[in-house]
Amino acid sequence: MFTVNGIRNAFWCAVAFGIVACASTPMPVEKLAVARSSIERAEQAQAAHFAQIELDSARNKYAAAQTAADKRDAEVAARLADQADVDAQLAESTARAKQQEQLVTEMDASLRDLRNETLRRDGGTAAPQPAAQPLPQRQ
Amino acid sequence: MIRMRMKHCFVAVVVASTLSGLAACETAPDSSALLEQARSAVTQAEGDPNIARYAPTELDRARKLLVNAEGAASEKGANDKAASHYAYLTKQMARIAEQRAREQMAITHIKAGETERQKILRSVPSSEGDPSAALLENRQVSQTSRGIVLTLDGVLFDKGKAQLKPGAERSIDQIATFLIENPERRVQVEGFTDDQGTNDFNIELSQSRADLVAMAIIHRGINAERVRALGYGEGFPVASNTDDGSRQMNRRIEIIVSNDDVAIPGRAAGVP
Repeated sequence: MFTVNGIRNAFWCAVAFGIVACASTPMPVEKLAVARSSIERAEQAQAAHFAQIELDSARNKYAAAQTAADKRDAEVAARLADQADVDAQLAESTARAKQQEQLVTEMDASLRDLRNETLRRDGGTAAPQPAAQPLPQRQ
Repeated sequence: MIRMRMKHCFVAVVVASTLSGLAACETAPDSSALLEQARSAVTQAEGDPNIARYAPTELDRARKLLVNAEGAASEKGANDKAASHYAYLTKQMARIAEQRAREQMAITHIKAGETERQKILRSVPSSEGDPSAALLENRQVSQTSRGIVLTLDGVLFDKGKAQLKPGAERSIDQIATFLIENPERRVQVEGFTDDQGTNDFNIELSQSRADLVAMAIIHRGINAERVRALGYGEGFPVASNTDDGSRQMNRRIEIIVSNDDVAIPGRAAGVP
């Protein structure tokens, strides 16, 4: 059954499909680029550490979008690229939020220390001087 | 011949579309459930005053994506995939809005904290006038060519313990406050011992105690890059080591604060 003609026919079919596919829905090159740069921004915001699940999801969908684009499936590629983009944005914003919240914790701790220090200083003039303490021996 | 080709082509198209149809049926999720999740995500985000305040752009995007999702869902059948897709984007955008709001709230909190810190520092008398004056009032402090030197003698540590005694904390507070007020200055913590014991042991002991004091300074909010710790062991004695009193004087920590933003010169033999 696999004659030269059959193979030739299949070839023409493929060409015809290719042309039709190209003409109707162009590959979402721009969407892929947008997703790529969102993933890079997430990586720069240390999403690998702070938002691992979201970043992985973005990377996987981006890879799937590329595979779909290679297979000339523009519709699937476009959707996957869009989803990779929002997943990456979520990874970035989650990582940023967590980092800022970590800074808040540090800031609160250092403010507490500073307040205590000020209190001790204010009440400290009457406190015994360090030099008045007994002298310990070095081991 | 052409008829044959057409027939083959037709068969191929039928097979391909059947396969892709099957694939679509297999993978297409139920859009109504996703749509419901998307709606409630947007409603929840709209109900959060912090999101409305700090992430209005993202909230607006989520609303527009939800309109797209509802639109795709109302066009019967074939757009189920599109509806699911937009519902997913909506849900994620609502979560992005929530995270952006969290980030902005944290930033606002940090700014308020910074203002508070400045207020506390301004209320501290030592920050007025010459910044070095308060430090130099301390009898253990002297001005040298290497910088301001604060000497902490044998009261820093309990015998055999690597923990700072409360008495040392006030001096370290003073150094830390000074460094906060003078962000261009650096500090070097130098540890010394008396001449009892081996040289190697003394160098190690002086280094670990200098490290502790350095850590105490860093814990008070000073960037670790501005703080250096060195152990000199029994080197550079300030007294004779012939009796307990002089050995006590040699067991010490010296904290040197740079005069400006230049690095503190190291100690060379014979230079105090």
